[in-house]
Amino acid sequence: MKNRLILYVLVLVILFSLGFTLPTDMRSLSIDIFIFAIYAMAYDILYGYTGQFSYGQAVFFGVAAYGLLLPVLHTNTNLWVSLTIALVITVVFGIVLGFLAVRLGGAYFVIITIIFNLTFYLIALDWIWLTGGDDGLTFRAPKIEFGVFSLSLYDPVVTYYFMLSFLLASYLILKRLISSPIGKVLIAIRENEERAQLIGYNVFRYKLLAYVVSALFTGLSGALYSLRTRYASADYFNIALSVQPIIWTLVGGAGTLTGPIVGVILINPLIYYIGVWWKHYLSIIGALMIFVVIYSPKGIVGNLINKIEKS
Amino acid sequence: MVPIEPTIVNKIILAILNGVVWALIIALVALGLTLIFGLMDIVNIAHGDFYMLGAVLAWYGVALFNNFWLGAVMAMIFTAILGAVVERSIIRPVEGLPAFTVVVTIGLSYIIQQSVLATFGGSPQTVPEPIRLTIEFLGIRYPAYRLFVAGVSGLALIALGVFLFKTPYGLWIRASMQDKEIASAMGINVSNVYIMTFSLGAMLSALGGALAAPITQVFYLMGLDVLAISFIIVIIGGLGSLKGTLIAAFIISLLENFITLVATPTEARVISLLIMGAVLLIRPKGLFST
Repeated sequence: MKNRLILYVLVLVILFSLGFTLPTDMRSLSIDIFIFAIYAMAYDILYGYTGQFSYGQAVFFGVAAYGLLLPVLHTNTNLWVSLTIALVITVVFGIVLGFLAVRLGGAYFVIITIIFNLTFYLIALDWIWLTGGDDGLTFRAPKIEFGVFSLSLYDPVVTYYFMLSFLLASYLILKRLISSPIGKVLIAIRENEERAQLIGYNVFRYKLLAYVVSALFTGLSGALYSLRTRYASADYFNIALSVQPIIWTLVGGAGTLTGPIVGVILINPLIYYIGVWWKHYLSIIGALMIFVVIYSPKGIVGNLINKIEKS
Repeated sequence: MVPIEPTIVNKIILAILNGVVWALIIALVALGLTLIFGLMDIVNIAHGDFYMLGAVLAWYGVALFNNFWLGAVMAMIFTAILGAVVERSIIRPVEGLPAFTVVVTIGLSYIIQQSVLATFGGSPQTVPEPIRLTIEFLGIRYPAYRLFVAGVSGLALIALGVFLFKTPYGLWIRASMQDKEIASAMGINVSNVYIMTFSLGAMLSALGGALAAPITQVFYLMGLDVLAISFIIVIIGGLGSLKGTLIAAFIISLLENFITLVATPTEARVISLLIMGAVLLIRPKGLFST
């Protein structure tokens, strides 16, 4: 326990000091990692903890990205209001889509999430008046306002700490959620859905809850990403973006919360650097996915926890 | 009687014809998908890429040998072998773990797409229609090739029906679909049935792709759209139900063709999605589930 506390403090100190010491391109990569780490954890709540394998989370990423962009662009709302609008819209979408997909579970769940994703992508490409289609829309990032203080997101150091604080807050909230009785029920559902049902839990309600929570944090990630890039396009709904959290979670370790973050830290620089010199890097990702599920299905953190528990 | 403009009648006849042709092609793809799912519980994400491979190989048939038919046959043989190899090598180790089979087929899908992108290129290509004849009837001109496609697809569907319901192989597949353990106890080599079914499904998808190549554009991501529509069809028809898949293919295909008379293809797709949503609410396991 004491060791763990030291570890936490150490990680925090490192993350904090990296903000003003990292060179520009590494800091930029770190900011992306913070944003995508939230996406990865959100996926872990859905798949790692509740056993619902979604292949369509990019829907919420894209919806929230536009949920933030459109109010800022058209009515010039401030940051907190637009972020709230983005998250509320995402939750509404989460409830509606979840209501259709979650009830059936299993293969139906996978297929329905794919269909949603592919259709939303088509719509985003088609409704140029709303989304800007393939070219997308750009906007001026609003200032971060706290009462009388205000900070500019055009300063990368500010962006670093801004995104880091969202990551830490998301981690604490989700950690709290999975340690709570609700989290235990979710794990029970993953392990044996019928038994959880027989004990008397309303399995549908809990699975829907996990789906909506996952949608909410995926949305947070999408909204932050559009804020960072000051841009959103139909590509934010791309099905490839739904594959990312699957890779992160499997490589890092499903059902560990920190594992998916490790996945992001390993995979994103890999894609970033390989992508520069080989345009077919996706085939490596494909091979990696096959390799991981066949040879290391527990993921890195999952294997580590196993080892610690055995010793 | 309100006089109807002849052009509208023509458009409706065209929509029906296109709808039927497209339904037969997509039925080939969707039946392969539902067959694989029904037997092995595998949601095959790479299924759309087998379709794409079919179209790409048909294009190569024309480009290299100036022979579309050779390309189509090549496509079927190649994907059948690929399907068997894939089932044996990368799907077998994760069998019975539905989420992992999805991941493996996503990985496979990426590898196929990137291989095609590297060799075939990223720009859409067209394949000339192998039969350059238009037939005039009911006041419209319709390419004979499309009617021919409908005929070939129809024959392939009948052949599939004969294979599944009149041959011992089909009997083994259906028996394994019902109960693997009992089928195995009766002396059926379920392992071989798996390989055969996956291979058959891949081949059907490639046949659909090859036949569709002259009608649509050949592109390395063309499988995604077909995957989406096939999934909507198998959900409406009922996962694993062959009859349901066939009927749903006709319903959705005709419907989308009718709607595109007055709206964009994307809006037609959204309506298909809404219909799927309604079916899920009324009959969660599909229209023709047992």
